[in-house]
Amino acid sequence: MNILKQELKMGRKSLIVWCVSLIGVFLLFMLMYVSISDQLAEFQKVFDSFPVEFRRAFAAENLNLDTVMGFYPFAMTYILLAGAVQAMNLGVSVLSSEVREKTGDFLFVKPVSRFRIVSMKMMAVFVQIVIINAVFFIASRLILEMISTADYDNNLYLLLTGTLFFIQIFFASFGFFISAFLRRIKTVLPISMGVVFLFYIIFLLNETLKDVKLGYISPFDYFALAAISKTMSYDSVYLVVWTFLVFLFVYLTFYLFAKKDLPSI
Amino acid sequence: MNVIEINQLTKYYGKHRGIENVSFSVEKGEIFGFIGPNGAGKSTTIRALLSLIYPTSGTATIFGKDCIKYGKEIRKDIGYLPSEVFYYENMKVIEVLKYSASFYDDVDMSRIQTLSQTMDLDLNKRIDDLSYGNKKKVGIVQGLLHEPKLIILDEPTGGLDPLMQQKFFDLIRIENEKGATVLFSSHILTEVQKLCRRVAIIKDGSIVKVENLQDMRQHNYKKFTIEFENVVDPAAFGFEGITSLTQEETTLHFLYKGDINKVINRLQGKVLRNMLVEEPTLEEIFMHYYQKEN
Repeated sequence: MNILKQELKMGRKSLIVWCVSLIGVFLLFMLMYVSISDQLAEFQKVFDSFPVEFRRAFAAENLNLDTVMGFYPFAMTYILLAGAVQAMNLGVSVLSSEVREKTGDFLFVKPVSRFRIVSMKMMAVFVQIVIINAVFFIASRLILEMISTADYDNNLYLLLTGTLFFIQIFFASFGFFISAFLRRIKTVLPISMGVVFLFYIIFLLNETLKDVKLGYISPFDYFALAAISKTMSYDSVYLVVWTFLVFLFVYLTFYLFAKKDLPSI
Repeated sequence: MNVIEINQLTKYYGKHRGIENVSFSVEKGEIFGFIGPNGAGKSTTIRALLSLIYPTSGTATIFGKDCIKYGKEIRKDIGYLPSEVFYYENMKVIEVLKYSASFYDDVDMSRIQTLSQTMDLDLNKRIDDLSYGNKKKVGIVQGLLHEPKLIILDEPTGGLDPLMQQKFFDLIRIENEKGATVLFSSHILTEVQKLCRRVAIIKDGSIVKVENLQDMRQHNYKKFTIEFENVVDPAAFGFEGITSLTQEETTLHFLYKGDINKVINRLQGKVLRNMLVEEPTLEEIFMHYYQKEN
């Protein structure tokens, strides 16, 4: 438990910053909605006049400004992107930081198994993701309550907001895998940003191409907000793929890390 | 009983050689020196002992147990001080030490105070405010805190001033008298000389020799400095037992191992200005080991 406690303590500040930023971005988008709400019909026309590819590229194909829940996915898209980067940062850095900060010679000579170190560190990432999701749930609920004038579909709200958790778990586990796979990681952010945006571009591309196979590549497709709004549920096949991949990445992380040489200082 | 037993240990990093067929053993209760120049494989050997890296072939046991298989168990009784110490920068010294202690059972926490007092270490400073030498002190306290039965020191004295080095050596001696075995790696022979009875010499990834320091110094080698009246042909001294032969104008320097009369015979009929026969320093013997290999 001492490793878990230590990790949480070290990640505290960054977690607070991310929480505040996510809420800030969300608030900004929702305020935007409020400011245009009296001219919604005009905005809807403007949006509808854009070519469909353009709307798809902004993840706003089915943007329906009549209700707050029609606008919500538009804001959520950017929350997902930021959340994915944060989760990937956590995932990549939690193991690699011991090598990068050269503290590995401290931790790995302690009488703990590598398995335990890796699992405690994964646990720390998991706890942080749970915290950020809980905070975001509360904050987004409060903000919605404040700005929405009419009732909104609670189920849809839960489904859309819940995608943050699934996306974050995916990118965190992919981050673990990358950090176990690469020998030495000098900087984390370029990797996280690169991977997240690559997947997002694939997703946007597929919004236009609508290729089923391509859909399996990007986790953003698994939890496509437009599709969820339409079907009012998560796609079960994608959920299975998600579960499989997360377990695979976690397993590979344990497997690779158990045999990894710690580079000397 | 041997605390460390290394048997044909080999480590390759891809195609790059780390160590090759390293074998030696460290007896219980001794302070064992491990010397060699930078890049010879000292750290690689030590990192394999601590299962920070996995050997390509060969085995190593500590307390009779395989290093890799029983790594977790073995490490309970090991204190390790790396050549360069790094800790979590945002923590205070006391927090690092407490975190370190939390990994072991039954740590006597009063040792934090006594050890850091001895090493003159401020417990309330943040790690990133510490100088290199002070970080090293944290490493020393952290390594000795849980009263390990085996202390592994990898070039431990860098950054410590002579006074602190002395205090550090005293601490190691105290732990040794209490029964701890010490593996002391260094490229500075004088400090190994101060503490160790036996040494293993490593060069280019292989053990050159495991030797008793006393034997090495007293019984084997003599260092000759002979100043002649005229320039002499150094070839006259090119016989067996003579090594590291150098000539400076009329002066010859060499190390000699063997019957002293042979050298005396060669000097017959030559006019000398001066002659010195000394115990060579370990440094010189050491250099000799390297040169011999070339």
